[in-house]
Amino acid sequence: MTTATLQPISARRRRTDQIARALLLIATLIALVPLALVLYFLIKKGIGTWTWHFFSTDPSGRFFGDPGGIKSAIVGTVLIVALASAIAVPIGIGVALYLVEYGKDSRFANVVRYFVDVLTGVPSIVFGLFIYIVLVLGGVGGNFAGWKGSIALALLMLPVVTRSAEVVLKLVPDSLREAALALGAPRWRVVARVVLPSAASGLVTGSLLAIARAAGETAPLLFTAFAVKATTFDLGGQMNSLPIQIFNDVRQAQDRLVERAWGAALTLVMMVLLLTLVARLIQRRSRFA
Amino acid sequence: MEAGVATTGGGRSVLERSPLSRLPDKLLRWGLTALAGAILVLIAYFFVKLYIEAKPAFDKFGILGFTFDNNWDVSRNIYGAWPLVVGTLITSAIALVIGVPVAVATAVYIVELCPRRLRQPLSMLVELLAAVPSVVYGLWAVFVVIPKLLPAEKWFAKTFDFIPFIGGGAVAGPNYFIGGLVLAIMILPIVSAISREVITTVPVEQKEAALALGATRWEMIKMAVLPYSRSGITGASMLGLGRAIGETIAVTLVIGNAPQIGHHLFSQGYTLAAVIANEFGEAASTPIHRAALIAAGLVLFVLTLVINAIARAFVLRAERKQGTRIAGGAAA
Amino acid sequence: MRKLLALAAVGVLALGVAACGSDDNNSSGSSSASVASGGGSLNGAGATFPQPVYDEWGARFKDKTGTTVNYQGIGSGGGVAQFTAGTVDFGASDAAMTDDEIKAASKKGDPVHVPSVFGAVTVSYNLDGVEKGLKLDGPTVANIFLGKVKKWDDPSIKGQNSGVNLPGDSITVCHRSDESGTTKLFTTFLADYSPAWKNGPGVDKTVKWPTGTGAKGNDGVAACVKQNKGAVGYVEQAYALQNNFTTADLKNKSGNYIAPSLESTSAAGVGLKIPSDLRFDAINAPGAKAYPIASATFLLVYKDMCKAGLKSAQAQRVKNWLDYAEGDGQKVAPELQYAPLPEDIHTQALAKVKGLTCNGKALK
Repeated sequence: MTTATLQPISARRRRTDQIARALLLIATLIALVPLALVLYFLIKKGIGTWTWHFFSTDPSGRFFGDPGGIKSAIVGTVLIVALASAIAVPIGIGVALYLVEYGKDSRFANVVRYFVDVLTGVPSIVFGLFIYIVLVLGGVGGNFAGWKGSIALALLMLPVVTRSAEVVLKLVPDSLREAALALGAPRWRVVARVVLPSAASGLVTGSLLAIARAAGETAPLLFTAFAVKATTFDLGGQMNSLPIQIFNDVRQAQDRLVERAWGAALTLVMMVLLLTLVARLIQRRSRFA
Repeated sequence: MEAGVATTGGGRSVLERSPLSRLPDKLLRWGLTALAGAILVLIAYFFVKLYIEAKPAFDKFGILGFTFDNNWDVSRNIYGAWPLVVGTLITSAIALVIGVPVAVATAVYIVELCPRRLRQPLSMLVELLAAVPSVVYGLWAVFVVIPKLLPAEKWFAKTFDFIPFIGGGAVAGPNYFIGGLVLAIMILPIVSAISREVITTVPVEQKEAALALGATRWEMIKMAVLPYSRSGITGASMLGLGRAIGETIAVTLVIGNAPQIGHHLFSQGYTLAAVIANEFGEAASTPIHRAALIAAGLVLFVLTLVINAIARAFVLRAERKQGTRIAGGAAA
Repeated sequence: MRKLLALAAVGVLALGVAACGSDDNNSSGSSSASVASGGGSLNGAGATFPQPVYDEWGARFKDKTGTTVNYQGIGSGGGVAQFTAGTVDFGASDAAMTDDEIKAASKKGDPVHVPSVFGAVTVSYNLDGVEKGLKLDGPTVANIFLGKVKKWDDPSIKGQNSGVNLPGDSITVCHRSDESGTTKLFTTFLADYSPAWKNGPGVDKTVKWPTGTGAKGNDGVAACVKQNKGAVGYVEQAYALQNNFTTADLKNKSGNYIAPSLESTSAAGVGLKIPSDLRFDAINAPGAKAYPIASATFLLVYKDMCKAGLKSAQAQRVKNWLDYAEGDGQKVAPELQYAPLPEDIHTQALAKVKGLTCNGKALK
């Protein structure tokens, strides 16, 4: 009977183990430090600006005097992102449905998958550039316009929605589909009444996450929606948005404009966090996490 | 799909449906196929259009000339993107050096070491890092990180000035290092999430075997977990790299926007993505400038494509080893 | 075939969305023509140099006529580019358009330069313990921006400022990263005094800066100066005032050290010979009290705005805006330390505005 494999752990090895575990814990805490710091400073510097005036007035643009609030930016973000989602979510889910229900492993489906994957890697600024050239300089329906910004954002959201929808739809067990088909339901009914409802929470989660991502993007809006100070509901014209407003205010020298940037950033982060948390909560409660 | 055996008198199956009622099915199928095809066409158009618009720049400077010439001179309409490429690579390299170890350590901790109850909250917190918009990181970096780190950077540059690149130069406020640091924070969630998935798929038997042989926790990780996960983690890092390369807004706020190759860690520089954001308003009516910016976008995109393809290969290799699928789909 | 399909797909998508999105009372160049030319909005973009005064004018113009002016400060280069591309109703630039730029714009019509105000480019610095009024001459400023003068206690600076306690801090240069008329004005000044600058970075809206941090817009450079101890940067007067910057007294052509002020800015407009197309700059003006880096900034419009793409109501709004700029606006400008146009230039500007047409017909 050998004792080769059951030697007692030497003090040196135990020490190494303890140090390593401590280091790993520290690294994890280090990873969380930026999050804590960002939230801390956002709240510290931003909460002071949160007054009714801040949310109900537009940026005045006046050099001296009242700088105004961020109303037009909030309205703009909501409208632009809503339109982008209305485009990207149905199309994304539609493509995912195709891939899961019909395309499966065919060559065509794999090509589609590959192209969509490739799209995930495109930097957001390149989407803005593309829309700028094709739609803005091309003069399609006017010049800078909120809806063009929406299209740029939709391009960005599309691969994200498609990918996550595909994962979720695949998780719906085939047995459910087959049971429905065996009962004589036509294919479209199976999709509409069985597949989609089962995958619903996962689809919602994926879409909310994509929306949260789009709400925070600046680069695609730089030269598509451009910017405007006044609140406007006209997506056919230039429009303000929170990320653009923040981006412009960050580079200012005037303290009160920088303050506005912090307040706007806090607002934007709260909106995004809300969407993200709701998405994750839905995910936790779903059957197919 | 119809169970067509049972028939009634005329040879028609009980369960056969009229052609009219099969119409919605056909519509759905062809509708969705057409949609997928349309998306394919759109994406193809996207790349074709970008290439066409970039061509004048490539024609004038040559593809190699454009990418490797060290001279981005807007006033003379000379566009050699090398300083931008170098800046992109330097900041991304710094992001990897800082971000990957922390991300992997976090993944290891969450999967292997932390108490089970904390697993979900901790991973959710790390993923929240990805929810912060890029412009907010930029804002925070400009007003909090840069001023706070400036004295430390100055000390570092002075103390280590015998090491080339790291020390010895003038320390500017916005510089490569801050750019890399912000990028590290931004790629952390994605590298960590995928590493976590990879590490979770290490077979339990491997880990138990190591423990059974008397290994300590850390030794088990070192012997069983990390080697197994190596290619998956490499893949995760490359995905993070791909993300870092394309990041625009946060970087343009903290890199100094100097179209030269900075010679020190704390010099100013420029990146491909930042130059596009900064200059494309002005390029509207100068065709060659516009072409140059799109060419920069194309170079950026090709870089990302290559890196993501390599990353995918690594992750695929890891999957194949485990025989499982690493679902990186929901990672932000 | 695929490309055709793709274009069709994108087109259909775009048109569909545009149809849903149009709610046409605010967009420029859209299909509805509002009858009254009060109200509505104007879109302009360009120089950050005059942005403070244009924003103030915009607020007062809105009170007067109900028209909202959306002005985006994207730099003179951006202003010329967007003006040429036709994506804005008017452009703005501190640097007059070059021949090449005019040629590019001539596809849409004849660009007209309407000078609006005179402003001054200050050399602002952030130095503890040093008051405003540091004396600097052209060659020294050039050497600072060339990176040849690296510290504040350099002999060339000390020599002009005996009695000032200069710290030994290194100089951090702040400059523009975007195409800027302010840069062009500033580099014109530098090139006049420094052959090394003239043959090196040269004179343009954007140059290869030998050293320093780049920032977007006058506001960005102001932020850079504010955030870095020992920094120096060139910003328009209004920005320096807003941030309480210490500014340098620059040596002008007559040999006097002049501080930037309303008076010295106005003095730069005296006695200039300007061409009939009003493309001029007033750098290194000859007056004894003239500030050497002061010049006019321009609003850019097409002579026949409707032919260039604007609807007639929109063209009328632009004319109203220009009338305001050359009228009431001239009285408002001094409040922000911008100098109103000198008499002779003002007369020529008014004539240019009067000459604007819409499809050949004069505007009201």
